[in-house]
Amino acid sequence: MRKYVLFLLAIITAVALMACSTGEDAGEEKPADDDDAEETEGTDGEDDGGEKIFYINNGDEPKSFDPSIGFDSVSWTPLNNLMEGLTRLDENSEPTEGAAESWELSDDGLTYTFTIREDANWSNGDPVVAGDFEYAWKYMLDPETASEAAFLGYFIEGAEEYNAGDGDVEDVGITAVDDETLEVELKHPTGFFLDLISNPAFFPINQEVAEENDKWHAEADTFVGNGPFKLEEWNHDSDMFMAKNEEYWDADAVKLDGIDWAMIDEDNTSYQMYESGDLDTVSIPSELSDQLMEDDDIRIEEEGGLEFFRFNVTEEPFTNKKIRQAFGLAINRADIAEFVVKNQVEPAYGYISPGFTAPDGSDFRDENEDIVPFDPEKAQELLEEGMEEEGWDELPKVTLSYNTSDTNKAVAEAIQDMYIEHLDVEVTLENLEWQVFSDAQVANELQFSRSSFLNDYDDPINFLESFITDSSMNRTGFSSEEYDALIEDGKYEADEEARWEAMYEAERMLADEMMATPIRYYNDVKLEKEGVEGVLRHPVGYLDLKYADKK
Amino acid sequence: MLRYILKRFGIMLITLWIIVTLTFVLMNSIPGSPFTSESTTNEVIQENLEKHYNLDKPLFVQYLNYIKSIVTLDFGPSIKQPDRSVNDLLGQGFPISAELGGFTILFAIISGITLGIVAALRHNGVIDYLAMAFAVLGISIPNFILATLLIQKFAVDWELLPVATWASWKHMVLPVLALATGPMAIIARLTRSTMLEVLTQDYIKMARAKGLSPWKITVKHALRNALMPVVTLLGTLLAGILTGTFVIEKIFGIPGMGRYFIEGINHRDYPVIMGTTVFYSAFLIFTLFLVDIAYGLLDPRIKVHEKEGD
Repeated sequence: MRKYVLFLLAIITAVALMACSTGEDAGEEKPADDDDAEETEGTDGEDDGGEKIFYINNGDEPKSFDPSIGFDSVSWTPLNNLMEGLTRLDENSEPTEGAAESWELSDDGLTYTFTIREDANWSNGDPVVAGDFEYAWKYMLDPETASEAAFLGYFIEGAEEYNAGDGDVEDVGITAVDDETLEVELKHPTGFFLDLISNPAFFPINQEVAEENDKWHAEADTFVGNGPFKLEEWNHDSDMFMAKNEEYWDADAVKLDGIDWAMIDEDNTSYQMYESGDLDTVSIPSELSDQLMEDDDIRIEEEGGLEFFRFNVTEEPFTNKKIRQAFGLAINRADIAEFVVKNQVEPAYGYISPGFTAPDGSDFRDENEDIVPFDPEKAQELLEEGMEEEGWDELPKVTLSYNTSDTNKAVAEAIQDMYIEHLDVEVTLENLEWQVFSDAQVANELQFSRSSFLNDYDDPINFLESFITDSSMNRTGFSSEEYDALIEDGKYEADEEARWEAMYEAERMLADEMMATPIRYYNDVKLEKEGVEGVLRHPVGYLDLKYADKK
Repeated sequence: MLRYILKRFGIMLITLWIIVTLTFVLMNSIPGSPFTSESTTNEVIQENLEKHYNLDKPLFVQYLNYIKSIVTLDFGPSIKQPDRSVNDLLGQGFPISAELGGFTILFAIISGITLGIVAALRHNGVIDYLAMAFAVLGISIPNFILATLLIQKFAVDWELLPVATWASWKHMVLPVLALATGPMAIIARLTRSTMLEVLTQDYIKMARAKGLSPWKITVKHALRNALMPVVTLLGTLLAGILTGTFVIEKIFGIPGMGRYFIEGINHRDYPVIMGTTVFYSAFLIFTLFLVDIAYGLLDPRIKVHEKEGD
């Protein structure tokens, strides 16, 4: 009997060993000399026969390289280097000619006619044609695709209806007239449309390739792009390698020979890799922020976005506007930015982050300036007036909720202190796991809660639109016909000046109604090795290495 | 014996069924959904997504689909990485985790047992104290601190080994060390205490009296009995370490499967939660079964297959 058991154990061990040995193969997919090359090459790309390889950390495995599906920055950042839309953002984050060499806008502002470059090619050599754009955009809007980015296309005629399953694909205003000409009909004049279509969700898809293999975007050897780089190697969850794409129409402008993407989801580790020369650029771990901000290698860039808190206008005491204003004005944003969040973030005295250029060339913030200041005396006054209006002797209990994170906790505690100091009100803090928090916030069950917003496209309306009646982004119970009308103008007004005027007015209304109060703008802090140049980091959150160079 | 194995197998299946059902209930009762995001959410898009992943169906139908996918061992695509199936994720992550885990366990067992024996043989001597002090340190320092420390010293300061990623044997040294120290310390302490107990037994005195060599006494007579608790420990340790460890894999950027246990839940990625649960429980149940059989080998007095006759 014992022999029998021994035999069984032997078999099991053999199976286990087999599993382990396949493991070894899987672990060493890279050529053996690869890590040596990395070590010596990391600091300056010139070592290896003049090859310029840029080493960067993507942080995580991309969700998907299907332009319609990969709706996050870990997908969009690599994808933005592999593909190109009709327009591409330049060094000032303004849209310029990409796969389209020119375009015309009809007089009523409703029809764009794009002309595709003759020399725009896919990485497999096929020409990029207008049909590839029509195919890709309609694929994004197809309800079956279930694209999270589909709402970005709703500015196009018939798009929303088709995506909601109420309309027909034939009625969507995207037509490839011939191979070079793409005609797009808009629902309303949309001032930022050229900006919008530089977004990865609007990248073309090689129709022939996609129809042959619907998983074309899942692996390096089947991926076909039309951008400055092409995908050479993709070890899932581990690393990617992109080489310069010689088929790209502007290949002469591309200076790097390749990009090596790591996927390290840990700030300390990636920083240590930067220190030892394995990475050329890296974000900084928050614990080291004080010490590293003095570093010469530091690059700070504005990122369009806002951290703010929402008041639930359907729950006491925030049913009263003056009390909301009091809670808004009693927050010392400068202190939060400087001592709590650190990383040289800017305190937010308005809702729209700096960096949005008005038609007259000024910044959005120049017009409205500091519309939500820090004013403890006024806050105290407003609180008293508000309590009197409501006939309260004692303020109803307030709970401030945030999703669990060290920084959020620190900010919440700072705000709690400020209310004790300036309003003599003690709020209770509550932290919730992200999913639980988010569900409760969307259902408007939280009284006073933390929020953040990062722009999907480069226009203030993106944020302002959140607070229209019944929007799923509203989450405050706020509803005003006047505000809805302003947003309608801010979206569809053909005259740009008037459109911006509506947006200024909308922001002023936010500050007055104070259903949300701004805290700070986001920024993007990176360390970059000496000699690295031309890395474009756009405020919408993804980076472009087309013009990057290593000296 | 065959009857015993069949019976065990039956019980394993029932246990597994209970686990997956409980997981399903828990998974669906926690708030949140895979499509929660701070970014713009639109009702139409939410509906399209739910339809796409069959989450708009009644719970009972979802449960049947779920059991079906477990029986056919096809867990479908991950929601967070829709281009890859859960089978792909596990199939690619497990060998890497198992490789890391295998070396870790090997290292922990060899060094732990050696340390334990040496300490027991030199009971209350300097070596004993040193070994046990080392073991206490190993247990009390969390592996993520040790990992960061090892990286800083060996990779950044002395430039002997690479910082992170998973490419060659050099990349394996630090994570294996960081991961093995804890289990090694536990094994060392366990071995030491049971060895001390066994060494005072009559049969050891008998063996000494017969004039057997110390090596033979230690390895053949004492160690064999002293290993029983270690084997018990090994069952859970094996399942835990071979299926990947979230923290160490995250710190070293190792593409193993450890992350899916945590991230699956954080993202409410239902197919991934399901896949990892089934995989881990099946693995754990199986190693526990192996441990039971190993008892019989180490101690003939324990006859696993005769228990059923009682």
